[in-house]
Amino acid sequence: MLSFIGRSIIQKIITLFFVMVLSFLIIHLAPGEPSQVDPLNPKFTPEMVERFRKAFHLDEPLHVQFVYFYRDLFTGKTISWKDNEPVLKKIGERFLNSLPLFMVATILTWTLAFPIGVRSAIARGGAYDRLATFFSYLLYSIPGFFFAYILILLVVNAFHVPVIGMKTFGFTDVSLLRTIMDRVWHLVLPSVLGATVGIAVLSRYVRSQMLEVEDQDYVRTARAKGLPSEQVHYKHALRNALLPFVTMFGLMLPGLIGGSVIIESIFSWPGMGRMAYEAILARDYPIILSINFISAVLVLIGTFISDVLYMVVDPRIRL
Amino acid sequence: MLIIFLLQSYLWVPTYEQQTKGNLERLNEYITASIGDASILNPILSADSASNDIEAMVFEGLIDRDQELRFRGRLAKSWKIYEEAFFYINEKASIPRVGKAGAPEVVKLLKRARGGYVPISAQVKTSLDNIREIVIIPAREFLITRQEKKGAGKTATRIRVMAPDRIKLILNKVDQDLFKNLSTILGNDYFPSFPAQDYLSLSEGGRAGIKAPADYAQEVLPATEHNPVIIFHLRPDVRFHDGHLFDARDVKFTYAAVMDPKNLSPRIADYEPVKEVEVLAPLTVRIIYKRLYSPALSTWGIGIVPEHLLNDEALKNEALKTEKDPERFSMRQSGFNRHPIGCGPFVFREWKSDQYIALARFDDYWDGPPQYKRFMYRIIPDLLTQEMEFYAGTVDSYAVQPHQVQRLKNDPMYQNFSGLSFGYTYIGYNMRRAPFNDPRVRRALGMAIDVNKIIQYVLYGQGEWITGPFVKQTDYYNHRIQPLPYDPEGALKLLEAAGWRRNKEGRLEKDGKRLQFTLITNSGNDLRKAVLTIAQDAWKQIGIDCRTDLLEWAVFVQERVDKADFDALILGWNMGIEPDLYQIWHSSQTHPYQLNFVGFKNSQADDLIIKIRQEYDHVRQVAYCHQLHELIAREQPYTFLYVNKWTAVLDKRIVIRGTDDAGNIIYKKITPTKTGNYTFYFNKWIKLPEAPVLSAED
Repeated sequence: MLSFIGRSIIQKIITLFFVMVLSFLIIHLAPGEPSQVDPLNPKFTPEMVERFRKAFHLDEPLHVQFVYFYRDLFTGKTISWKDNEPVLKKIGERFLNSLPLFMVATILTWTLAFPIGVRSAIARGGAYDRLATFFSYLLYSIPGFFFAYILILLVVNAFHVPVIGMKTFGFTDVSLLRTIMDRVWHLVLPSVLGATVGIAVLSRYVRSQMLEVEDQDYVRTARAKGLPSEQVHYKHALRNALLPFVTMFGLMLPGLIGGSVIIESIFSWPGMGRMAYEAILARDYPIILSINFISAVLVLIGTFISDVLYMVVDPRIRL
Repeated sequence: MLIIFLLQSYLWVPTYEQQTKGNLERLNEYITASIGDASILNPILSADSASNDIEAMVFEGLIDRDQELRFRGRLAKSWKIYEEAFFYINEKASIPRVGKAGAPEVVKLLKRARGGYVPISAQVKTSLDNIREIVIIPAREFLITRQEKKGAGKTATRIRVMAPDRIKLILNKVDQDLFKNLSTILGNDYFPSFPAQDYLSLSEGGRAGIKAPADYAQEVLPATEHNPVIIFHLRPDVRFHDGHLFDARDVKFTYAAVMDPKNLSPRIADYEPVKEVEVLAPLTVRIIYKRLYSPALSTWGIGIVPEHLLNDEALKNEALKTEKDPERFSMRQSGFNRHPIGCGPFVFREWKSDQYIALARFDDYWDGPPQYKRFMYRIIPDLLTQEMEFYAGTVDSYAVQPHQVQRLKNDPMYQNFSGLSFGYTYIGYNMRRAPFNDPRVRRALGMAIDVNKIIQYVLYGQGEWITGPFVKQTDYYNHRIQPLPYDPEGALKLLEAAGWRRNKEGRLEKDGKRLQFTLITNSGNDLRKAVLTIAQDAWKQIGIDCRTDLLEWAVFVQERVDKADFDALILGWNMGIEPDLYQIWHSSQTHPYQLNFVGFKNSQADDLIIKIRQEYDHVRQVAYCHQLHELIAREQPYTFLYVNKWTAVLDKRIVIRGTDDAGNIIYKKITPTKTGNYTFYFNKWIKLPEAPVLSAED
């Protein structure tokens, strides 16, 4: 066990280094200049372009830039080119904004997907199963942005209430309770949207896992023993069907920082995904690379956690 | 449970009506939306439009433009522009009818000419009458040091200058023709033959160097020099938002901060022609320019930043407080950029990145505080959501998309405004390459495209044709020039005159070579993409083999535009009001990475561009612009396509609040200015609980 953990950590550090190098190269070798440098502006003389490049160390060889960047990152001194704010502070703020969205969406996904999936597996082939299948494919195939627009149009036209952003604008001097509820309301649409695809996919997955387990011998044995079907389904079958989902918990970790570009942009939610997207458009390398690095670390930690979790819950696996 | 909790929250949220009825404070607040967030709230450092929007509210410049686009004093109460001109006495030149002369003789001659004792033309007389004072600056000797690159290192070259007598002429008005006119009296060779290098001697270090005295002569001892001067008289008792009094030192500091290389200011090019900014009195600044540069006045619309918060000492204190290295700490790192303090009508309150920027009215604003108590600038990156927020009442204005104009213009809930934007879209031809080096071909290509159809179908009628490079609403634009007619037959005739004939398959050919080229533009702009297809089709109709290509913006600019590696491209320019076209049209700007990437070279145009740049008299400047416009329209280096029309809708309840002569409060409808700027009177706007019934004038 311990040797596994040690080996795996070393492997992950090596992977991380390659990710660092690769992402750095990809981003720096892609064409484009930081948005501060505007070659098509008549007021921008070549000397100024040169001066900007120098200030951002863009005139140095790539390996030197690489060292500069990661030295600053590890000492927490990286600043965004766009507004000279410390990158870690910016990421921290955005992380806190994305977090409630992510949590509500995840809770919705997991609490809805399991009952739906399990029920359609049990009542396989029935009207409920077919309906659930139809809707999950429908939700899965509707493009997120389109669905978001439809929802916004419906809600705004039907109820005349604001839905964009984290709270209603110009809504001041009201009781604390109303403020909180206002914020909760603003969470509803984006988190529901964020959950739809998750529910659709996950419920399908749960269904097929359940079906597989239901065909197993031990389930048949349990049934043959004369156990009530409730107990067969939820105690014998479901427990074993849940095993693969343990790994998914670990893999959810990077989703924390990824945020959702489309939903955050449409709802003007000041979250991580939107910041990353805008940083890419503006070629704000420090932000892009920092987010990249942090999510790489989270992915590696996530896979590590799911490996360990798997070993803990499934005694058949020994490494 | 969770779902019910989420859904019940709906009941707590205010609707459109409730927002104003239940919450009267909302009427004192103006909310607007922007696609992008601001980056840095400091007029010296910012270059993006969101930052500029906020800076226009928080900071104030010395001057701005009024409804008619004339300059208007803001922090400056008044200003005066005159010129100091200099020339060195050329002792070796022989003046007609006088011979070789020293300074006193030259002065005497000029005075006699002014008195009418020397026969001169009317033009020269105007120049002479314009001279207020003639002063002799006696010969002097001085040392200067220049750093020169030599191999890897630098060497210092010391230059000893024995400057001869110099004449200083103080002029009432700036006169770019002064020396040309004086040449008729002093002789055509008097200025060009001034032997500047004879007065220079290089030190030991320089002798081994690469440069000879002649290399420095032009710079150190220019035969003639124009020094336009602007004197600003500043408004007294104006305060910054922190209560500090505004004075001339803030103006000088703003200039110095732009020029400081540490600050990397994107506006440095505007102020490069400044020689010196002097504080003459607490409320008087004198700005001396190195050379004639007529866009100079408009550059003083820059927001003035407070010296006491940003000078070296303040920055050093800030660095120490935040535990940063004071040596490397510059204005760019200062917290000021996220909490700006200016003397504009609104005080900065709060900035939540990617959410909003909140401003509050400045009650001590010198021009009377605005009516709105608060100004909110929301960042909503998606246009459709902006629209929805406008309907929901949480944004007060919305910039309408072309296809929505018909619908929203007739909506009784809203008032609408529209106008022409300051930019145009064009097809540019690489004139270094055949067949675009022939003006007939360029004209024919333009004539083959039906611009009216583009405006009608691609822009939904929300555009207008344009014929030249000036802003259509300004005087500089020459309205006598007609747009190219849509005439494919005529285009074929022109092409035939240029040697291109249709072959059996109907393709155009010259000497067995087909007329074939590639038209490119950047991807991600649907309008340009549509124009690309329309142009390709129109040209195909008359037998031109046109290929097209869409490139990602960065690749498009770096690989194609910067390196001038293209046949024809579709692009747009955003223009300022100033008619200075040097970077885009002057023949010296045709090298790689410069903006005259189509390679337009025309000596007549060069001459006019320089004259426009140097002319301070509006009427004459307009005349030159009209000539240049005509010339560019004749040469057709671009096919000028269209300018966009914008439309904005506002809640009908927003009106202008003023007082009539009796002191009663009256409400007026918001009216746009000549250029369509409806926010010109923004400080007087207010939102009413009910849409008002306004007097018959509207």
